[in-house]
Amino acid sequence: MTTHAPQAAHSVTLPVSLDEAVAALAAMPAAVPVAGGTDLMAAVNKGQLRPAGLVGLGRIGEIRGWHYQDGHALLGAGLTHARVGRPDFAALIPALAAAARAAGPPQIRNAGTLGGNIASAAPTGDTLPVLAALEAELVIAGPGGARREIPVSHLLAGREMLGPAELIGHVRVPLLHAPQVFLKATGRTGPGRATASVAVVLDPARRGVRCAVGAIATMPLRPLEAERWIASLIDWDGERALAPEALTAFGDYVAAACIPDPEPVPAAQEGGDTVAGAAVEQPVLSPAVLHLRRTVAALARRALGRALS
Amino acid sequence: MSNDAATTATPPAVDGPPQEPAAHGIGASLPQADARAKTEGTFPYASDLWAEGLLWAAVLRSPHAHARIVSVDASAALEMPGVRAVVTQQDIPGDGAYGKRIADRPVFATDVVRHHGEAIAAVAADHPDTARLAAAAIAVEYEPLEPVTDPEQAFAAEPLHPDGNLIRHIPLQYGDPEAVGEVIVEGLYRIGRQDPAPIGAEAGLAVPRPDGGVELYVASTDPHGDRDLAAACLGLEQDRVKIVVTGVPGATGDREDPGFQLPLGLLALKTGCPVKLTATREESFLGHAHRHPTLLRYRHHADAEGRLVKVEAQLLLDAGAYADSSSESLAAAVAFACGPYVVPHAFVEGWAVRTNNPPSGHVRGEGAMQVCAAYEAQMDKLAAKLGLEPHEVRLRNALATGDILPTGQTVTCPAPVAELLRAVRDYPLPPLPRDTPEDGWLLPGGIEGAGEPGAVRRGVGYALGMVHMLGAEGTDEVSTATVKVQDGVATVICAAVETGQGFATLARQIVQETLGIEDVRVAPVDTDQPPAGPAAHGRHTWVSGGAVERAAKMVRTQLLQPLAHKFGMSTELLQIADGKITSYDGVLSTTVTEAMDGKELWATAQCRPHPTEPLDESGQGDAFVGLAFCAVRAVVDVDIEIGSVRVVEMAVAQDVGRVLNPAQLTARIEAGVTQGVGAALTENLRTARGLLRHPDFTGYALPTSLDAPDIHIVKLVEERDVVAPFGAKPASAVPVVTSPAAIASAVRAATGRPVNRLPIRPQAAVATPNA
Repeated sequence: MTTHAPQAAHSVTLPVSLDEAVAALAAMPAAVPVAGGTDLMAAVNKGQLRPAGLVGLGRIGEIRGWHYQDGHALLGAGLTHARVGRPDFAALIPALAAAARAAGPPQIRNAGTLGGNIASAAPTGDTLPVLAALEAELVIAGPGGARREIPVSHLLAGREMLGPAELIGHVRVPLLHAPQVFLKATGRTGPGRATASVAVVLDPARRGVRCAVGAIATMPLRPLEAERWIASLIDWDGERALAPEALTAFGDYVAAACIPDPEPVPAAQEGGDTVAGAAVEQPVLSPAVLHLRRTVAALARRALGRALS
Repeated sequence: MSNDAATTATPPAVDGPPQEPAAHGIGASLPQADARAKTEGTFPYASDLWAEGLLWAAVLRSPHAHARIVSVDASAALEMPGVRAVVTQQDIPGDGAYGKRIADRPVFATDVVRHHGEAIAAVAADHPDTARLAAAAIAVEYEPLEPVTDPEQAFAAEPLHPDGNLIRHIPLQYGDPEAVGEVIVEGLYRIGRQDPAPIGAEAGLAVPRPDGGVELYVASTDPHGDRDLAAACLGLEQDRVKIVVTGVPGATGDREDPGFQLPLGLLALKTGCPVKLTATREESFLGHAHRHPTLLRYRHHADAEGRLVKVEAQLLLDAGAYADSSSESLAAAVAFACGPYVVPHAFVEGWAVRTNNPPSGHVRGEGAMQVCAAYEAQMDKLAAKLGLEPHEVRLRNALATGDILPTGQTVTCPAPVAELLRAVRDYPLPPLPRDTPEDGWLLPGGIEGAGEPGAVRRGVGYALGMVHMLGAEGTDEVSTATVKVQDGVATVICAAVETGQGFATLARQIVQETLGIEDVRVAPVDTDQPPAGPAAHGRHTWVSGGAVERAAKMVRTQLLQPLAHKFGMSTELLQIADGKITSYDGVLSTTVTEAMDGKELWATAQCRPHPTEPLDESGQGDAFVGLAFCAVRAVVDVDIEIGSVRVVEMAVAQDVGRVLNPAQLTARIEAGVTQGVGAALTENLRTARGLLRHPDFTGYALPTSLDAPDIHIVKLVEERDVVAPFGAKPASAVPVVTSPAAIASAVRAATGRPVNRLPIRPQAAVATPNA
C-alpha cells in the first residue's frame, strides 16, 4: 500500500506503434499520454492531475531512436535525456547533447524524454533553447496515419497546438556540421533548474549564427537582429574568430534584446495631456533583473566565443 | 539538510601518534547498529508502519498567511463515502493551545489563521486520496487580512495574537556605554530562512488503546515533552498517552511537531481505529519550524591595534506567528552576539517578534548561527580598515578560558579559540587548479555549467564560532538511564532518541568500556521509560551518556562486590576485559559468566549537570552549562561575472573535549559543514506576502554531492571539559554555526563586495574583472 495515488488512472494502454498510440488517444479522448513521467507523475502524486486514463509511450520502438533524412536527423520523441547526452549523439548535435546532460540528476535524465520536454514546455526545459536555435520541426502524428510538421517555436509560442489525439512523433533537426554551444547558469553546482541558458549554433552553409535564450521567459527567445549583426562580422571563409570587443557587444546586444529596458513613461500630469518636452520618467529594472541581464550577456558572449574558438 | 550526509570521506588528520584503533569501547569507530538496515532500505520508519484496519488522515491547511475565519462547514466532507471523521478545534477535549514555554498555538485555527499552512481541520478516511479530497471539500470562508511580513513592522502593527507581537526583548548591557574606540565599523546584515529539510517527511500512526488512551508511533525527538503536550490537549492522564519512537529520518531541528501528532491522536480517539498520516513534502515545509530569519545591525569599536573596545548590536528575530522556542534562540543570539572574542563593553539589544511568516523554532545552532555571520563580517571589515590580515585581527581578540562573556558568565570550560584558528590558518591551501582537461577543475556552475576559468576568482575566508551546549537559562537538564546485564548481554534502556547524532552507538561504547561486555543492545524508546529530555543542543552525549555511564558503573559494582569480598580487595582493583575479571596484579581471575552466576543485574541512574539561571533584565546571568568552539577556513571559487560560487575546501578545527567515536565525529562535523554550505549559498525558504513560494526540493535547493566541498578536519582539540561526562563536548551544531560565516568571508575576499546577506545571492558576488 502506498500513500500515493495508485487509483489515479483507471485504464492504462501500452501501444507499440505511434499509430496505435494515436488510435488509443482517439478512442479515449480523456486519456493522457505519458512518456518519462517526470513532470506528469509528479503532478499526479501531488493531486493536481487525476487522469482518467494513461497511454504509455514507453514501448513504441519507432520513437526511441533516430535516423537520417536528407541532411537532417529525425529524432524520436521518446529519446531519453540520458541517451541524447551520450558521445555518439554529441558528435551529431553537440548543443542538444550538452543540454540533455545538464537536465537534472541522472534519475531524471534516465526517464525524461525529448518529446516530454517539448510537450511540458516548461520555461526551464533545457533542450528548448537548443531546439529553437536549431529551428527544429516537429513531426506530429495524427489519426489515420496523418503526419504534419510544425516548427517547434510555433508550438512553444502557442501559435499552433496539438489537436485531439495528436502526438509529437519525431523532431527534425538540421545537421549543421559546425560548432554549437549550450550554456546554463544555475543556483548551485549540482543539478538545478536554469536561471538562464543560452544556445548558440553556427550555420556555415547559410552563413548564419542562431542564438536562443532559455529560462527567462515562458518560451525561448531569439535575438534575431543580434544574430544577423554578428553573422555579418564573421569571416566565414577564414578564421571565423572575432575580437573580444565584438563578443562582448554581441552578449550585450542579446541581453538587451531579451531583457529590454522598460518603456519610458511620461511623468504623471496634473489632470492634463502630456506636454511635449515634459519630464519623462525612466523606470529602472530591479537589481535582480539587471543581474539576470548581465548573466545572459555573459552566457551569450561565452557561448559565441566557444563556438568560434 | 538531512542528518547524516557524510559526504566527502576525508580521514581526520588529527595530531598525535597514530594509535591502533580499538574494536569497541570509548575511542572506537564502532558503526551504528542499524547502519546496514538503513543502507539497504529495510529499516522501518514511521511512514512504513501499518495496522489492521487503519484509516488515513489528512489535514486542511490555510491558503492564507493572515485571515479571519468566517465559517467552517464540513458537511460536504462528512457526506463523502469512506470519510469516518472530521475534527476541528471544537473537538479538542483538553487544552486548546500548546507551545514550548507559552501555550500560544491553537491545535486548529478557529477565528483567525496566522500563517500559511496553519491547520484548520483534519479528516480520517479509509483511503489517503479520500482523506485528501475530503479535506479539500471542507468549505472554509475566509476574510483575508493584511499580513505582517516585515518584522520591523511588527512593533507598530495591530497585535496578531492576544499575547501581543513582542515575544521577548533582551537589552544586554555590559560595561561602560560611553566607551569609544579609535576605529569604528558598522554593518547591516540579513539572514534567510533555513529549513531543517528532514529527508523523511513527517509521518505517524496513532492506535487507540482499550483503556481509552492512545499510542502514537512517531519520529519524535522529545517523546516525553510531546507526550505531555498530547495528553494535555487530548484531555487524558499522562500515562494514558504513550509515544513510541520510530526510526528518525533526519532531524536537525525539532521533528514531529505536535501539529502532526495531535490531529492523529484526536482522530484515533474519535474513530476508535488506528489512523496514519504521512505528510507530503509541501505539508512538511508548511508544518514544521524553520530557522529564524534575522536582521542584525552592528557597530564595532576597536583600538588602533585592532583590539575590540565595544560592540553595539541590535538583533531582530522573525519568530513567525507563534513563540515556539524563540525565547531560547533570542537568548543564544544575544549572549553570543560578540562571538568568541574578548569584548570589554557590549550593548546588545535583541527582540523576537511575531509576524505572519512561516513559524520559526529550533534548528541546530539557533541564534548563534545568525550572529556568527554578522560578527565575522564585522571582523573582516575591521581587518580591512586596519590593514590587518583577517586571521590576525581575530587572534588579537580571541577568547580563552577565564575570560568573561558579555552576559557576565565566566568561561570555565576549555576555550582553545586561538589554537583552533592557528590550526586552520597554518593548514596548507589547496593548489590552484590548472585549466587543463586532465585536471578536471570543477568550475562554479557545475559540470555542464557556464563557468569560464578566466572569470573565476579564488577567495579565502576565516570564521570563528561558538554555541552553548544543553538547554540554557535554568532548564532542568536531566536524563535517566537503566542498564541491565543478563546472560552476557547488556541492555541500555534510555529514552534518549537516536536522531542520527549517534547516541545509540555511544551508549553501547560506554557500557562496553565500563563493563567489558561486548554485546550491548539499546532498547527502542517509548514514554513508558523514564524521561531523557529532548535531543537538542548535543545534550544526549552529555546528560544521557552520563546517566548510562553511572548506571553501568552501578552494575559493575554489583557484579564485582561479591568477588572483591572473596578476593579480599576493593572493586577498583579488579578489571573487566574480554569477558574475564582479573585482579590488578593478574593473580586472581574468573570469567564474567561465572561471576554472574545466572543472575540478572539492573541499575538505574540519573545525570543532572549543574544548574543555570535565566538572563536578567540587562542580559546578565550564568545561563549556559558549557560552550563549544570551532574555527573554519573556507576556500571558494567565484565566477565574478555570473556570481556563481563553489566552495572548494573547508578546513575545520574544533574543540571537542574528547573523541569518543572518531568515525561518527567526522561524519557529524562533515554533515554540519555541509548544512552550513547550504545556509551560505542556496537554502532559503522564500515567501511572498507570507506565502511559501516553492515548498519542494526543486525550489529549496539543498547542497548535492557536487556542492559539498572537500572537508578537512585539520585539528580536533581534545582538552577535556571536567564537568562533562568523559570530558566530551557535543560536536554537531558548531560547524553549522561557523561555516556560513567563513564562506561569506571567502566570497568577500574573492570579490571585494561586502556580502551582508545569507544565503549569498549571485548579484552580491559579481565584481568587475579589474577590481
